Amino acid sequence: MKKKTVTGIVLSVAALSVFLSVKTAGSRDTKIKEFTAFFDVSENEIDEYNEIMELIAQKTGARCREQWLVGKSSEEAIDGYIASGEYTDFISGDVALYEAGALIPIDLYWDDYPNIKNFMPAERWDRFRQPDGHIYWIPQFDVVSGKSKELLHEGEAFWIQTRVLKWAGYPRIRTVDEYFDLLEAYVAENPVMEDPFHEGQTLENIPFTILCDDWRYFCLENPPQFLDGYPNDGSCIVDAGTQTVKDYNITPTARRYFKKLNEEYHKGIVDREFYTQNYQEYLQKLSSGRVLGMVDQWWQFAYVVNGSLEIMSDQGCGYVPLPITIDQSVRNQWHVKRGAELSAADGISITVSCEDIEGAMKFINDLLDEEIIKLRYWGIEGTDYEVYENGVYYRTDEQRNAVRNPEYSRAHFCVYPYFPRIEGMLSDGLNAFAPEYQPGEFFDALVPDVKECLTAYGCRNYVEMLGTNEAPGPWYPMYSYSDMLTTDSEAGRVWEQMNSVKREFLPKVVMTDDFDAMWAQYMERYTACRPEIFFAEMQQELERRLQP
Amino acid sequence: MASQEKKKNITWKEIKKQKVLIIWSLVLVIYGVIFYYLPLAGWAMAFQDYKPKNGLFHSAFVGMDKFKQLFSDASFIRVIRNTLGMGVINLIVTFVMAILFAILLNEVKSNGGKKTVQTISYLPHFLSWIIVTGILHDALSSTGIINELLLKFHILDQPLNFFAHPKFFWPIVAFANVWKETGWNAIIYLSAITAIDPSLYEAANMDGAGRWARIRYVTLPGIKPTIMILLLMNVGNVLNAGFEIQYLLGNGLVQSVSQTIDIYVLKWGISQNDFSIGTAAGIFKSFVSIVLIVIANQIAKKNGEERLF
Amino acid sequence: MEKNKSGKIKTSVWDKVFVVCNTLFMVAFVIITLYPVLNTLAISLNDGTDALRGGIYLWPRKWTFKNYITVLQKDNLITGAYITVARTIIGTLLALVANAILAFIVSRKNFIFKRSLSLFWVVTMYVNGGMIPTFLLYKNLHLTNSFWVYVVPGMVSAFNMLVIRTYMAGIPDSLEESAQLDGAGYTTIFVKIISPLCKPVYATVALFVAVGQWNSWFDAMLYNRMSSHLTTLQYELMKLLSSVTNQGTSAEAMKNAAGTVTPTSVRAAATVLTMLPIICLYPFLQRYFVTGLTIGGVKE
Repeated sequence: MKKKTVTGIVLSVAALSVFLSVKTAGSRDTKIKEFTAFFDVSENEIDEYNEIMELIAQKTGARCREQWLVGKSSEEAIDGYIASGEYTDFISGDVALYEAGALIPIDLYWDDYPNIKNFMPAERWDRFRQPDGHIYWIPQFDVVSGKSKELLHEGEAFWIQTRVLKWAGYPRIRTVDEYFDLLEAYVAENPVMEDPFHEGQTLENIPFTILCDDWRYFCLENPPQFLDGYPNDGSCIVDAGTQTVKDYNITPTARRYFKKLNEEYHKGIVDREFYTQNYQEYLQKLSSGRVLGMVDQWWQFAYVVNGSLEIMSDQGCGYVPLPITIDQSVRNQWHVKRGAELSAADGISITVSCEDIEGAMKFINDLLDEEIIKLRYWGIEGTDYEVYENGVYYRTDEQRNAVRNPEYSRAHFCVYPYFPRIEGMLSDGLNAFAPEYQPGEFFDALVPDVKECLTAYGCRNYVEMLGTNEAPGPWYPMYSYSDMLTTDSEAGRVWEQMNSVKREFLPKVVMTDDFDAMWAQYMERYTACRPEIFFAEMQQELERRLQP
Repeated sequence: MASQEKKKNITWKEIKKQKVLIIWSLVLVIYGVIFYYLPLAGWAMAFQDYKPKNGLFHSAFVGMDKFKQLFSDASFIRVIRNTLGMGVINLIVTFVMAILFAILLNEVKSNGGKKTVQTISYLPHFLSWIIVTGILHDALSSTGIINELLLKFHILDQPLNFFAHPKFFWPIVAFANVWKETGWNAIIYLSAITAIDPSLYEAANMDGAGRWARIRYVTLPGIKPTIMILLLMNVGNVLNAGFEIQYLLGNGLVQSVSQTIDIYVLKWGISQNDFSIGTAAGIFKSFVSIVLIVIANQIAKKNGEERLF
Repeated sequence: MEKNKSGKIKTSVWDKVFVVCNTLFMVAFVIITLYPVLNTLAISLNDGTDALRGGIYLWPRKWTFKNYITVLQKDNLITGAYITVARTIIGTLLALVANAILAFIVSRKNFIFKRSLSLFWVVTMYVNGGMIPTFLLYKNLHLTNSFWVYVVPGMVSAFNMLVIRTYMAGIPDSLEESAQLDGAGYTTIFVKIISPLCKPVYATVALFVAVGQWNSWFDAMLYNRMSSHLTTLQYELMKLLSSVTNQGTSAEAMKNAAGTVTPTSVRAAATVLTMLPIICLYPFLQRYFVTGLTIGGVKE
């Protein structure tokens, strides 16, 4: 009986405290508006009391609590929103949400908010108009003001460690064959590297690997488009001359590239586990400094592994991109100017659940204010960055280290990364909107071995290693359309099947002992999906995009 | 037979006597209807081209189209095979292992040893699949501990990439399930064993029964009702072979054997905003489960074994 | 079986062999089971970036508590812990009462709706209407953005009901009959006679429910995402796991051994932290199991 009484007391206290905590959490500074936002990506949460967030709140009278995707069941979360009709104030809008009637038309409200209305020229905005003639989302990235400095190559490339280039005397590497020849030669002479953490011990070098985990397998399947000198349209290549869509999976280059991978696999140059490693294991390998080269998109590895590679800088483990194509005569388009990749498929939206649409519009408008953009990306002057006498911003080593400290970042910086931003230069014409895009700051922040390597090639950033390209045409990038295909359409179902076949056969093609037979089998299964249906749909879209 | 008996029993007197029971069952049935049966109205989605904007009441009715689409898709037939295959293997292996483990643990004489082993045995139950698959991936990689051992004992002369071969996938999944759940599943058998009347063991000892005989004639019959009922319940679950583990361990090379119905639903249905297909697959799963359970229950009834209802 | 003398000797030899084999089996089992858990523990105590290079088995190479600090510093973690404890206690209690009452009803031998009521609940184990209808239902019942969504749906589970029912069926009918002769109603029988005898099975079901409550996070994400004061511990940890992307740790930080974290290392720390309370709780409940727990069906 006594026990029961005790349990009873414990319970009632617990229950009571729950309701008390509910009560107290509700009260807050009422003068500042608080919005909520949900983005279907995983990002770092910042602290609830973040310094710059509060600073922005004081200046604009509003703050926004961002919610990010959690766990694998992410799609279900979004469906939960759609199902319930109950949304956060802001959301990453797309066609599905538009069709669900979840979004409010931004162009009906934007007259009072010049930063939004003039965010892009009217004809660019027109690309965002939905079938009912209204605009429902604002692109977050790739809107550039003034001359943009192309420094960082965030996209795909064949990367190589600086030690390999240094060993060979910084040769000009232009083709797939040259690239693998170099790797072979290097690894023949240097099969191992020093273990940076255990003196006197060595680690075996891994010459080349490819990330293939789940949806990240694109680095296995899409190099043929780049090798033929096309930019990243993603799901097809577009012949600008004839304005036709082509399939890069069946080109002679594709066959040649995968045959090369097959040969290198049997020579032991391609990592034996390339296809079964998951993302985590891949990052582990890269962080160990053992991987000499890989084909990957920068953002997939750099944020995680660069910290580790910095320690091994004296061994030359940092990565630089190489302008590789299938043949010397082909001009590469690995890098296309940032503004060109503007995708009209999604952006930030205000939902029908938002009770203060004007306030939400004002919030976005304020975030596009130059003063606020500086706060979001550079931070506070004197604390996070300094200004030279000529007005150019820079960071001290101490400030750079502070930025890299995750705890400090969480408590201090508030980038609102999925709200719109204006890229390119600030109105002073001297400084970029963010440190990563500031030429001097970019180079100074690089690790020593990468600096040395870039200098040897007469470059000061990644993009100069590759060369840069204007947008190939108004259709670019085509992947913004194939990404939107669903199983509702036949093209969408074909597209899904094509991917399924590629996922199964590309690794087989690389690993097989009989390349020709396996390639024939692959092509047979591939054509059985009737890819022509998909490409006909893409051609139609291309023509739609070409119409004025 | 049973129903006749029941009918005979229903008298006003009996109902009055059982008033409290009836009121409480009514409360619980109302609860059950609200929380379990009402959402089944959502099954209507499978017969519609469901669009969230239109809701359940205004979406276009398409009849059996979604089911036709499902069953005309060769890959759906394949995922049914995979789901059933893995479901049955998992069911058998985890069952046998949990019973075996419970019986063997019961034979451990030292009390402290017994408790320690049991406490350790259920720890993996609390590890999430992300962690378990991470560990498995490490252990089975070409530089992992398994390959290291196989090379050392000259069973292999070259490291084997386990995840590149479809034939290894189902066994790996089964092993992972056994590893994660054996201890936890054994809890219920161990309890059943401790509930066996000690006098039965004493009698067996008097008869000079050896250890094997004791297990065979006392322990096993003692836990048979538990085994039967859990078996019955789990037969209905074979189509719930899982999602996370296959999703986390699978890759393109083994996709023909790794994809389950749940993955299929996620891939084609939910991520493509097609709720109808997912619902149709869900109905199919429920239907198969109920058919299986009814058959199993009837078999059990015929043989005079424990049954669910 | 073998009653002659030589047979007995043979048996005892076999017995020894069995004991040895069984002990070996148990040792192997413990190693296979314990290793990954200890490995997780070791990784949770090791520097994140250092662990990325692999080679950590049972002992951390570069000690740090940074992973735990990262987990514990998380905003809302205290609120989450609060709610999780509350839902575990309240949810377990509610589920126990509901399942016990239900089991009591269906285990009365002469209850007229016995079979149909069992069937009604068994079916619920295998059908569900899917996420969207469920969501809409909860919304209309005003369960979304409320604490009750954690404890009210899923209160009754057919499995737990069956576990208790089996146990109750094993209690001699004579107890009930004599109480009835004394004029006791069903309520009294349930509270005063049956329930005290059911402590062991209640403990088991309590453990099952408590573990489920403790571990769940999906409901918090789905139904209470707008109410950060109703977040749960596991949801906060899940958020942590999917958000930490080793934000460009500097060489400086690594040289200072200030410690760095990666998703893997934080995940390991979070796992250890969530396992702890349940592990502590288990031995406490375990003593009830000794008294017996079975699950069974109906057999006429």
